[in-house]
Amino acid sequence: MGKKDTNVRMSLQTLRVLEVFLENPTEKLAGADVHQRCGIASGTLYPILLRLESAGWFVSQWESIDPASVGRPRRRLYRLTSTGLRRTSEVFASFNRGVLA
Amino acid sequence: MSQRNERSTQAELSGVSHWLIHHAAHLAPESLSSRLEEEWLADLESRSSALSRLRFAVGCCWASMVIVNDCPRSQVPAASPVAAARGFITLADRSFGYFSLRSATLFLIAGLHAALFYGLITTLSHTRGIVPPPILENQALKDVPREKVSVPQSLTRDWTFAVPKPDVEIPSALLPSDHVTTNVGEELIEPYAPPLPVTPTHVVARVAGGPGAGFPDTADFYPSHSILLGEQGFSTVRVCVDSHGRLTSDPTTVQSSGSSRLDEGALKLARAGSGHFRATTEDGQPVNSCYPVGIRFQLKK
Repeated sequence: MGKKDTNVRMSLQTLRVLEVFLENPTEKLAGADVHQRCGIASGTLYPILLRLESAGWFVSQWESIDPASVGRPRRRLYRLTSTGLRRTSEVFASFNRGVLA
Repeated sequence: MSQRNERSTQAELSGVSHWLIHHAAHLAPESLSSRLEEEWLADLESRSSALSRLRFAVGCCWASMVIVNDCPRSQVPAASPVAAARGFITLADRSFGYFSLRSATLFLIAGLHAALFYGLITTLSHTRGIVPPPILENQALKDVPREKVSVPQSLTRDWTFAVPKPDVEIPSALLPSDHVTTNVGEELIEPYAPPLPVTPTHVVARVAGGPGAGFPDTADFYPSHSILLGEQGFSTVRVCVDSHGRLTSDPTTVQSSGSSRLDEGALKLARAGSGHFRATTEDGQPVNSCYPVGIRFQLKK
């Protein structure tokens, strides 16, 4: 097993997604929630979520509900990992210093 | 009726959206296909309007292509969603150094446009350079056989006019002394008067003047700044010279060399050459005249 590559290419859309999660780092958000908060279209949003998940910044899991009782399908929820939180903080700190990491 | 149509349209759009998401999920890597389909269908339910759902579904198609680009289908292990995520981790973020695939494509397109533009410009200039100038040829006209033209009889009549006598009496005081006849009404006006004989004119042999013996050397008036800057050029000044080769007025620049320094140097040279100009001669006799003098400033190699 090689070491996980935690580097993610930073784009403006990626930063906006991270900013949404950084508002409440423990909150679990579905793709639809992220779309509502930052307005990124699905064609851009889901590849970003998958990249961040594959880099270990996010973890995702299915919503623990009963679809029949709630009346809607279960959603995939994303949450910042401790690595993701640290790396996100570093990225935003570097921006505050005026240097892109 | 219109509400019913609207409902059916929304139902159709919803069906299209579901089909697009299904299609998009199948485009995605196999290990992620079922997960993405369920996730996208769940997120689709949060959209209220049919148009918004359609946009979401179209976006999912695009997302699938991006995900495929990030994670090639053949290298993703077909396993559970967790395993799929792990497989995705190892192949994440296919980028070309500092550039993404999209940026690389954009640079490629921009480069192709630049190359085409450069090629067009250089080809045009090259073509313009090798096109030979149009050749103007003088062609001597061959002797055209002259045919005798027969003039109609109506045009060969005598073109003389008889002017009727006016009813005006001319006072005798106004008549010239060598008056021959005043019977205007009876005299015929000749239609053509023969040309007067041309007397031969004297052609003056004029030889234009120029810099003569003892004229100063150009090198003595080469501006030092121009020497330092490597400036070279040809300046033409107009000088007015008397019969003794002296300037009768201050010389002026008629054609600049392109450098004000060299032009000024040429004027100084012309002023210094006063008295050393050759006067223009007419029939061998020196006369006052004005003429242009070309002065070349050229650095020795």
